[in-house]
Amino acid sequence: MADSIWMPGSLFDNIDKFANSLGYQNSAIAIELAMMSWKSPDERDAFITSITGEDPKGGTEKNYIKQNF
Amino acid sequence: MAENRGGANGGPQYNPANVSGTGGAGQSGNYTGFGYGKNQEVNNQRVQGNQAMASAQAATPSAPQDPYQGINMPQLGTLFDPTSRPDEPITAGVDFGPGPGSEVLPQGLMNNTRIDENAKIAAQYLPDLAMAAKSPDAPDSFKNFVNYLIQNSQSATQNG
Repeated sequence: MADSIWMPGSLFDNIDKFANSLGYQNSAIAIELAMMSWKSPDERDAFITSITGEDPKGGTEKNYIKQNF
Repeated sequence: MAENRGGANGGPQYNPANVSGTGGAGQSGNYTGFGYGKNQEVNNQRVQGNQAMASAQAATPSAPQDPYQGINMPQLGTLFDPTSRPDEPITAGVDFGPGPGSEVLPQGLMNNTRIDENAKIAAQYLPDLAMAAKSPDAPDSFKNFVNYLIQNSQSATQNG
């Protein structure tokens, strides 16, 4: 069973995404952005894309529980 | 039949614990208790002082209610308002994303505090981040990030 702290949108998932997308040299900004209350992982990823111009980095699919509704 | 008129009204002057700040009975506001002939002189000075203060206050224009009246200040928006500069990328002035980098910022206006901020936040959150990195489900990208923070905090400690 996957660890719940790595669910999409969890704090550590956010940190992983922001740190790897913005660059480790921006770790302070990345952690602060990760602590914001994002409505969904999609909204967070859209924000990352809007400021970096690229898809979010970090994480791997195997770490996530994909939910199909 | 007795009338209910006159007599003590229970005012503060009947309280023996009340002490007038001006000395004496404290009813008139006049100073008393100075040497012979001095009471009148001191009270005249008080009256003149009050008049001078009143004229000075009357001559001083009162502060305007709106200090920015007449200045066209743009309305401040919130973080989530639409941009007022639609042609400028949101990352203009920072070293990632579209738009110019930090080289377009005025020189000397800002110090690079990013290194200090990174060290501070690493010291604050590194124990929790390291714990999360030990999780079997932690992605390699997260472990790399935590390793970077550990290395940075060690080099910062060595450099003092």
